[in-house]
Amino acid sequence: MSTAFSFKEAKTDTLKPLHVNPLKLSQPMGATLAFLGIKNCMPLMHGAQGCASFTKVLFTRHFNDPIAIQTTAVNDISAVIDGGERGISEAIDNITKKVSPDLVGLFTTGMTETKGDDIKGATLLLKEKQKIVYVHTPDFEGGLESGWSLSVQNIVAQLITPKTDVKKAKALLIPNVNMSPIEVEKLKEAMEDLGFEVFALPDLSDSLDGHLGVKQGSLSGGGIALSDIEALGDAGIVVTVGRSVQKCGELFLEKNAQAKHVHCDTLMGLEASDRFYAEMLAYLGTCNVPNSVKRWRARLQDVLLDTHFILGKSKVLIADEPDSVYSIAQALREVGAHVEAFIAQRSDIQEEFTCNVRIGDFEEVEKALPLVDMLISNFHGERLAHRYHKALLIRGFPNYEQVGVGLRNSILYEGSCTFLCEVNNLLVHHQSSQ
Amino acid sequence: MCKFTIMVNKKLIKDLLNESACSHNKTKKSSCDKPKPGATSGGCAFEGAQISLFPYADAVHLVHGPDTCLGASWETRATLTSYQGENNTPLGYCTNVTTQDIIFGGDKKLSAALSYIVEHKNPKAIFVYETCVTAMIGDNIDYTCKVASEQFGLPIVAVHAPGFVGSKNLGSRLAGEAVLDALIGMREPDTIHPYGINLIGDYNVTGDMWQYRPILERIGIHVVSTLSGDGRIEAIQQAHTAKLNVIVCAKSLVTLCRKMQERYNIPYVSVSFYGKRDTSNAIRSIVNAFGDADLSARAERIIAEEEAKLEERLAPYRLLLKGKKAILNTGGNKSWSIASALQDIGIEVVATSIQKATEEDIAIAKEYVPIVFKSPATEQPRLIDEHNVDILLAGGRSLYTAIKKRIAFVDVNQEKKVSYGAYGGLENLAIDVCASLRNPVFKLVGKSAPWEAA
Repeated sequence: MSTAFSFKEAKTDTLKPLHVNPLKLSQPMGATLAFLGIKNCMPLMHGAQGCASFTKVLFTRHFNDPIAIQTTAVNDISAVIDGGERGISEAIDNITKKVSPDLVGLFTTGMTETKGDDIKGATLLLKEKQKIVYVHTPDFEGGLESGWSLSVQNIVAQLITPKTDVKKAKALLIPNVNMSPIEVEKLKEAMEDLGFEVFALPDLSDSLDGHLGVKQGSLSGGGIALSDIEALGDAGIVVTVGRSVQKCGELFLEKNAQAKHVHCDTLMGLEASDRFYAEMLAYLGTCNVPNSVKRWRARLQDVLLDTHFILGKSKVLIADEPDSVYSIAQALREVGAHVEAFIAQRSDIQEEFTCNVRIGDFEEVEKALPLVDMLISNFHGERLAHRYHKALLIRGFPNYEQVGVGLRNSILYEGSCTFLCEVNNLLVHHQSSQ
Repeated sequence: MCKFTIMVNKKLIKDLLNESACSHNKTKKSSCDKPKPGATSGGCAFEGAQISLFPYADAVHLVHGPDTCLGASWETRATLTSYQGENNTPLGYCTNVTTQDIIFGGDKKLSAALSYIVEHKNPKAIFVYETCVTAMIGDNIDYTCKVASEQFGLPIVAVHAPGFVGSKNLGSRLAGEAVLDALIGMREPDTIHPYGINLIGDYNVTGDMWQYRPILERIGIHVVSTLSGDGRIEAIQQAHTAKLNVIVCAKSLVTLCRKMQERYNIPYVSVSFYGKRDTSNAIRSIVNAFGDADLSARAERIIAEEEAKLEERLAPYRLLLKGKKAILNTGGNKSWSIASALQDIGIEVVATSIQKATEEDIAIAKEYVPIVFKSPATEQPRLIDEHNVDILLAGGRSLYTAIKKRIAFVDVNQEKKVSYGAYGGLENLAIDVCASLRNPVFKLVGKSAPWEAA
């Protein structure tokens, strides 16, 4: 438990003694998603049964797919007499009675961190019985992004076998929690088209992309295989997308100092996409890209010009996780949009924003809403957008209203085209219906 | 490890779990067991309390704890209200307990949050929900609430149902206890209605309560208060003046009703408003409790009227649904109440799952449906084949079974968008089932791909 008082947090966080209509989701929820991107994995939340139940319901409704998760179901008695190992061990026994997970992702909640359970010790005790990765994710610190990132950091640290040689064309891709399953797939394809063999960690493109499968959600339905994770040590390049996962790339270098780390804060918009390709091509020592990439770049140039008339005069309020808000803000700024940003939790990316950015809840969003044309937020923004007659684009978790959220691509040249056109058309439709 | 004082009332919880009015406690020691690590699904006590009390739209619901509890659960349930002021049900209030609060205690923050709410909102009451973390750090929520309540002249009710004390069901019971101790009996009405009732346990999801409440009122019944669908704080404070408690499709609040019987001499009846027969029987149970011949006669007349109107509306669907066979796989009282409703629209219910039903529900289910089964994963496909079933009504996880068997599917666990309650809701159920049976999609998506062997 970190106890350091951060002056920066005190200065920028909302000074209210409560959250009214919170924007923030918790660390254990981010951890859940990270482990769902690993094949045959069982996310095991160490806390009361409700923490896992709420998380399961939220993601089930968001993705419209079954979500695998279990809980150590700590009760008021085991909360006092047990240091965690009994409940965890019992949970592993009960899970392995029914299914055989390749990996169990064990992570904590506020309650089990408050009582100070030794999950590392419990993991060591159960080593022979079940492969487990453990992560500390109290929900009184951080949020969705940090929960995901901490999980990936621990997967990297605990599972990858160190190597000293590299395969130049083998790439490890670490997406941030905001990237949709299809965005992970598109990014993998973009790199494969350049000649890379790509492993995404975690890989939601295979598990939560909404495909019809035989599995009934008892374990994660797809994702990167455990054996592939363990053998990642010889990857020549690690690409991290989003400030929240930058540290994961740095940790990977401790497994193999020969590898190169390329970090992108965002992949939305022309500049970010250009930078991504520049880095990849420089690494490969080539200037060759597939023809389709050239065509999509030219299309994006055209879309930027086509959309600047409307977007250049628009005011947009974005409220979401920090990496997501930063990406969207950068893309909209390229066509001259005026952007106001609210982020769910503190993040290093705050320093990079070129617009106003605050940490807040939907009560703060509501106060700022009358002055803008459009709201971009999760589905909780819908009621507000209706009340204030604003255009609405739903992004982020949760989205209970729409289907196909896993299939939405807003990255690189192609996705940026789709994104800008969608925002433009929503604004026009909204203005004409006023 | 044991450095924390856990603020949990062990005796109360034990009493609630051994509820004498629960039928299973007559034979077994207790089936309200502790959840098993690694083999548990379903919500915690906090969620149960939240579900039971959030429908009070005129009260602010403040969750005292870190993010997960509220961040993932606000604005999730379609519990409708007719309250004209600010509707607090779909809003989320949370003290957002952080590391500092865990070290120094969260009482100050709670007190500041209560002041903020009173200053910025205009609630009729504030419910403060204890969570696991604030129970463990030993926050004195009762005291903080009491002080604030006196300062602001407003009921501020501490709800002690932290997640780790047990299941959703227990949380509902604990919420009932909080309401009984802090609200019921706190206000006297101007007049006492001779046929006054309290509706207990219906949360008006998708407006279920509005399907039958007007019918009761036409008969001459007066709804004094509800716990808590479309509920009001002032009304529940007068609940002790009702003549009858009506438990609607929920066993969890039976303790509250038993205690109200002991304390205020109010008897209770338990009813279901799913399906035609059950709705009519529910109305009869309520009316008969008053033993008034005029009231009963009026009820019979209105039941006959409503049933005739319903039959007329159902006629076109009956043609489509005649001879169709269904399997039902859902939980709790739905394992029989939806079966009964399906039978009322002319569907033959071949089997129903009792995997997640209480002993009481299993007993009732057996009266309605010839086959009850325990493990859907293995038995469902077999029963579909053996009985030539046309439609599967289940949760999303069973969708693949339906696709594989190429039969129609209705998701009965998904957050419903329309009400299936009472007479009016039965037509909605018929519409949904017919739409599924007619839909070509279930046969289409199961087709093999051009590159697969047929």
